[in-house]
Amino acid sequence: MFWKRQVPIFIVALIGSITLFGWFIDQPDVKEFIGDDATQWFDVLASFAIILGALNLIKLQIQKVLYQKPGWQYSVIAVLGFIFAIVAGFFVKGVDDSVAQWGAHVTSDGTLFKWMFDYVFSPMSATMFSLLAFFVASASYRAFRIRNFEATLLLVSGIIIMVGRVPIGGVISSWFIMYLIVLGLGIYVNSIKKDTKVTFVFVAVGVSLVTIGGIISDWPVDQPGIFYLPSIQEWIYYYPNVAGARAIMIGIGLGIFATSIRYILGIERSYIGE
Amino acid sequence: MKDKQFWLVTSGVIIAFAIYWLLGHPYFVIDRIVMFFSILSLSATLIYYTRAAERGEEFYLRPIPALKAVEEAVGRSTEMGRPILYVPGIQDMDQVETVAGVVVLGHVAKMTARYETSLNVPVSRSIVMKAARESCRDAYTVEGRPDMFNEDMVHYLTDDQFAYAAGVNGIMVREKPAACMYMGKFYAESLILAETGNSIGAIQIAGTASQAQIPFFVTACDYTLIGEEFFAASAYLSQKPELIGGVKGQDMIKLAVIAVMILSTILMVLYESTGFGFNISEYLTIR
Repeated sequence: MFWKRQVPIFIVALIGSITLFGWFIDQPDVKEFIGDDATQWFDVLASFAIILGALNLIKLQIQKVLYQKPGWQYSVIAVLGFIFAIVAGFFVKGVDDSVAQWGAHVTSDGTLFKWMFDYVFSPMSATMFSLLAFFVASASYRAFRIRNFEATLLLVSGIIIMVGRVPIGGVISSWFIMYLIVLGLGIYVNSIKKDTKVTFVFVAVGVSLVTIGGIISDWPVDQPGIFYLPSIQEWIYYYPNVAGARAIMIGIGLGIFATSIRYILGIERSYIGE
Repeated sequence: MKDKQFWLVTSGVIIAFAIYWLLGHPYFVIDRIVMFFSILSLSATLIYYTRAAERGEEFYLRPIPALKAVEEAVGRSTEMGRPILYVPGIQDMDQVETVAGVVVLGHVAKMTARYETSLNVPVSRSIVMKAARESCRDAYTVEGRPDMFNEDMVHYLTDDQFAYAAGVNGIMVREKPAACMYMGKFYAESLILAETGNSIGAIQIAGTASQAQIPFFVTACDYTLIGEEFFAASAYLSQKPELIGGVKGQDMIKLAVIAVMILSTILMVLYESTGFGFNISEYLTIR
């Protein structure tokens, strides 16, 4: 129990405290430990641990093939890929020593390993990454579907941001937006009053006021600024958006700090079991 | 002054620092003194409330729907006879979010042990695999079901981001888990995972402090633990007084931060418009 509980808690407390308070100490050895040594120790440990992961992966895939579990065919490909990567990495370079030495062969053109990386690994990674475009579309559809006030707000903000940040947004006159707002408010008034006469009067007065304002000021595209899409999107992006993001960020920062302190002080011990 | 021991230690630390300061404070980075005291006072607040909770003081925790939904998701999986998929992020144990993800995994594993539901935890780092295994083993033992624990319920896929996403998606499509939980640090793969989970009709609960991924999880998942809620999850799920005290302490710190922000804004406006007072941003800037 001593080795499984007290020792790990002591190590976490010691290294955590040195890393935290070392930031306030101007001493080269401490700085070097925090900046380089500690992270390198972790990298070394992680490098050794990868063997455990690789063994676990290959064990499970071989078991799947041997017991013909559902989807075992994919496991055959996984095992073959694993063997091929080891062969290309450790045994077969595919070129002479004059072209690439062992070690450098993983990044040198013409080698088997580089071929595998360029023509198998990279395209497959790119394929997975490209899927994001379709997933963003389907997720946006769900998020922008008008269900309630918040979703409508999100939809309107999203459209303003999208249109306002592209060149066509700059040529849409603020007077056009004002006409749209008057019509939108007309719909709102109609939904509340449910009287076509009131709605008509409201829209007619609104359209007339906008038209008179436009004639007097000679219809400038970007005036009044509060109805000009690039200006509106900039305001949304830099004020409500940043305010919300910073609030979340402060919460995250405090959460990380509080959690780290709980680990350092040994208050939270769940990560080593109970 | 209920906690005499706490105040004694606090006074001791202050006196020790005062002596160190009077001795010429060797090696200390003076530019960071405000930050140093902030960390000390924030830590003291956390410790104070943790000790208060341990003494038996009760604190109210507002209900978080996502955490209530964890048990609901486990129950749903049990009824449907399908597994639960738990993804503890794609980063290593050097990230506090991954550690928090592994801690929450322990609580989820307790529930799966209780309900006799199968749990599948694909991981992308070997060290996370070992830590997650220990966490699950412990949870099953605590629940009196060590026989149900199987080492391979936590298994390694790959370190690579998109290969891992492809592997997890494959598991989702083949095994059709009834519940998918994403708790840890995520990058671009978050939406790939969450949308696939959505397409198979799984109940989805996410928790992350990766700010850029929160909107994706909010859109594609049924419940999302946003930022600090994720770090408080362990306290909510375990209901341990010392952890709940920590959450209360965290809230008090938040209150203090809000007060400092408002006060600083007033001081800055006064300083810049009338020249009265001092430039507080000089003290609050991290150097």
